Amino acid sequence: MFTSPRIQLLASAGAILALTLAAVLLASWFGPATERVLTVFLISLTAVVGIGLYSGNSGILSFGHVAFMGIGAYAASLLTLPSALKVATLPKLPEWLAMTELSLIPATLIAVVFTAVVALFIGAAIGKLEGSAATIATLGLLIIVHGVIIGWRDVTRGAQSFFGVPRETDLVTAAVACVLALLVARYYRDSVSGLRLRAGRENAIAAGAVGVRIQRERLVAFVLSAAIMALAGSMIAHFLGAFSPKKFYFNDTFLLLAMLIVGGMTTVTGAITGAVVITLVTEVLRRLESGFTLGGFDVPPIFGTAQIGIGLIILLAMFRKVDGLAGMKEWEERLLPVADLPDKAPVVPQAPATDTLTGEAMTMAFGGLTAVDGVSIRIEPGEIMGLIGPNGSGKTTLLNMLSGVLTPTAGRVMRGDEDLTGLATYQIADRGIARTFQNIRLFPNLTVMQNVLVAALSTHGGRDAPARAHAAMERLGVTGHAAADAGTLSYGDQRRVEIARALACQPQFLFLDEPAAGMNREETDALMVILRRLSSELGIAVLLVDHDLELINQLSDRIAVLNEGRMIAQGTPLEIRKDPAVIAAYLGTGRKTDTKQEGEMT
Amino acid sequence: MKKLILTSAIVAAFAAPVAAETLTIGTATAQTGSLAYADAPTMQGMKLAVDEINEAGGIGGTIKIELLEKDVRSDPAQTSIAAQELVDAGVSVIVLPGDSDPSLAAIGVVSSAEIPAISTVASSPTLPEIGGDYMFSNFPGDNVQAAVSAKWAYDEGFRTAWIVYSLDTQYTTMPLYFRDVFEKLGGEMLGESTNTIGQQDFSAIATTIAAQDPQPDVVMTSAYEPDFPSLLRALRAAGVTSQIIGSDGIDSPTTFSLGDVGEGVVFTTAGFATEGSALESFDKAFEAKYGSAPETIYSAVGYDLIKVIEAAVIAADGSTDPKAIQQAMANLENVQGATGLITYKGTNGMPIRQVSLIRVKDGGRELVGQPTPDADLIPAPRMQ
Repeated sequence: MFTSPRIQLLASAGAILALTLAAVLLASWFGPATERVLTVFLISLTAVVGIGLYSGNSGILSFGHVAFMGIGAYAASLLTLPSALKVATLPKLPEWLAMTELSLIPATLIAVVFTAVVALFIGAAIGKLEGSAATIATLGLLIIVHGVIIGWRDVTRGAQSFFGVPRETDLVTAAVACVLALLVARYYRDSVSGLRLRAGRENAIAAGAVGVRIQRERLVAFVLSAAIMALAGSMIAHFLGAFSPKKFYFNDTFLLLAMLIVGGMTTVTGAITGAVVITLVTEVLRRLESGFTLGGFDVPPIFGTAQIGIGLIILLAMFRKVDGLAGMKEWEERLLPVADLPDKAPVVPQAPATDTLTGEAMTMAFGGLTAVDGVSIRIEPGEIMGLIGPNGSGKTTLLNMLSGVLTPTAGRVMRGDEDLTGLATYQIADRGIARTFQNIRLFPNLTVMQNVLVAALSTHGGRDAPARAHAAMERLGVTGHAAADAGTLSYGDQRRVEIARALACQPQFLFLDEPAAGMNREETDALMVILRRLSSELGIAVLLVDHDLELINQLSDRIAVLNEGRMIAQGTPLEIRKDPAVIAAYLGTGRKTDTKQEGEMT
Repeated sequence: MKKLILTSAIVAAFAAPVAAETLTIGTATAQTGSLAYADAPTMQGMKLAVDEINEAGGIGGTIKIELLEKDVRSDPAQTSIAAQELVDAGVSVIVLPGDSDPSLAAIGVVSSAEIPAISTVASSPTLPEIGGDYMFSNFPGDNVQAAVSAKWAYDEGFRTAWIVYSLDTQYTTMPLYFRDVFEKLGGEMLGESTNTIGQQDFSAIATTIAAQDPQPDVVMTSAYEPDFPSLLRALRAAGVTSQIIGSDGIDSPTTFSLGDVGEGVVFTTAGFATEGSALESFDKAFEAKYGSAPETIYSAVGYDLIKVIEAAVIAADGSTDPKAIQQAMANLENVQGATGLITYKGTNGMPIRQVSLIRVKDGGRELVGQPTPDADLIPAPRMQ
């Protein structure tokens, strides 16, 4: 199951195969030296997409992936090294390993699987870390693995040359490995897991709210990318024939990351672009620095320009294109911007809730500040409930507790008899509770279609996800924008996409945090119609926070009013309009007002 | 694809034509990166030798030498690419970096093209052993240095020894060769200690050695900065009075600035400029060309590398055929280089060279001896 249009994936695969084949043929025509340059390039590219698969999709820059390249190199080489040489140079190897002598392909497969298992443990350990803490952890990984390889002398020969590895990597082998890595990376990006991970990269809180388990997707990507690194490691080991731990350390990490960052971390197009640009510039400078004759003048060799060149490219790329030369999009996404909408198959509607959602005596304290103080709220199946209150009264905090973004300091969230308190947001989402955010939290670099689809895929086991996504987009009237990036839409459209995304989760309870903010009157009126239908046609209970009291008054069956963290009133719109406490909270005590004016209060 | 077209155009434009009376030596050395500390000064010495020979009319008065230089940035993969380019350019000899990894990464290319290759300053005797017939070294091997220092120690009347070594690198296992030779000569090993490179505290090792009764006559190590000064201070502080023997890794200004604690340390190195020696005239020629004295012995060793190639071409009757040069090189005897006499005959490609024994005296260097080691004494390379 892939989440992007088939034509894009086919175009990408076709281009990868055609380009690699053309490069191999051209290099063969040029001769053995060019073949070697291309072989090293292809192995580097394999490693670059390996790092990109994790870093690009998760948004966590990894300094540690070259360690997996090292593990793969040593593991595969231990299996292919001739037995006689193993006995002579590594006398303390266990006998079964010393006697094993495999050819390149089975050895590489075993090394890839072994490395993936190692990565599974490491990934599970560091997967909880976020942002720069995660990046620093990967740096630690690089240093620790380097230390282990040096220290484990009986198996690795320590810091000394690990030599005698059969030189079985030729141009074709490297090309096949590289094509494999590129295809895995490209298809992962638009797999269900890849899409979820990218959603998490774009906005972690929103991804959780639509059911994405970011840590699990990160682990999947981590293991897959480690496997690709191991493949690259085995290739370089069997290309060089001799290597030592320093081959898998900072120098190569720097070079590979330079390629990835210059080209653009988030796409396979970027990985290829970066690898090509840096290789190209290094190759040209390398030839120039060996000295040449120009118009009768002999220019003497000046070494070191290649490294300076790489440094300058990085600077230039970062100044001109922060997301890398290829940006955030694959080339085929730019050239073939189709939405490829799924068939609008009939969606089995989610049965309306029969139980109530209740918050019981919920308190949320941030340090000394109590944002919500002992609030109880009850939402009946299918009703529209308005939640109002002055700025800072605790509305959003209450919503965050009910949707699992915050765990209440005291009190419980119950759905029927089930206690939802302390559940993660993705678990809440799967229990029929979806929401939007006060400050729009879309996945700006994903298309509208992908924004909505990822929600459908991540809830209710992903059943009928494409149809659910399509139905949700239709209902909100954003189908026409399906192929557009969510971040490029107008404010009102972004609000609607966010509601469509929440709706794609097939919720029984929907929390909308200021859905009409920033909309004009016509847009607000149209939204009102849509929201009323959610309740009347789908039986979804809506908890609506807004400052537009006209909207609240017209839509709500009941209204709850918060002030300074406490619930001051609950009741029908009519009751609320007459409630002296509400009037006092909104206008201050000692002043009477005509209730009809409330519509203008914002 | 543009890359490949551009690439080949540049190669075509810059590859120099090989004339009949020219010997083209391709250098795929580390002029930048972590190995540049050795390969850059070696290149200076090589260029000095090439200029000298060419100014005198070339090898044997007729064959001019041309250097085709490539920088491999201390990277094994780049070394293998550069070696292939040099093979394609039709060079007769290839010079490889002063470390096993990149040299071994290139040896596959070099061997199948049947072109002799010499590593600038790699001292591991396993390199030519693994590299095969076309891989030569140029520096006094670890085993050769150890054989010289062990023989000297025994001849001085020292009969008991203790070694301190590290398995972290090939180089720091040199004391194991010392042990083999010393025992072969009839000396007795009282014990051995291991350390890790970068170890800060050597007091445990020093205390162990100091507690021996009697203390060993000799403590031998191939540790270098910053480990060697720490070890030396710890030993002396613990009351160890044994003769300390080191290796060429401590042939640096630091060793001569340690004050009293450094006095009397003896170490092996590639050369010593005695009055009227070849090294003295090399130093003068070097200063005349570059404006300052050579900073390390590597420059003289680089000069020697070219002299070895020159001798091999002469021995091959002026042939620039790589195979003929390889045959001739393997049988060279007593080639006069800047650092002394160099012999490949009877070795696996690791030359037998004169090794200089230096004693630290009054913060300066005193020559103890410049023996050519007895080939029978040199232990076989250790593969582990």
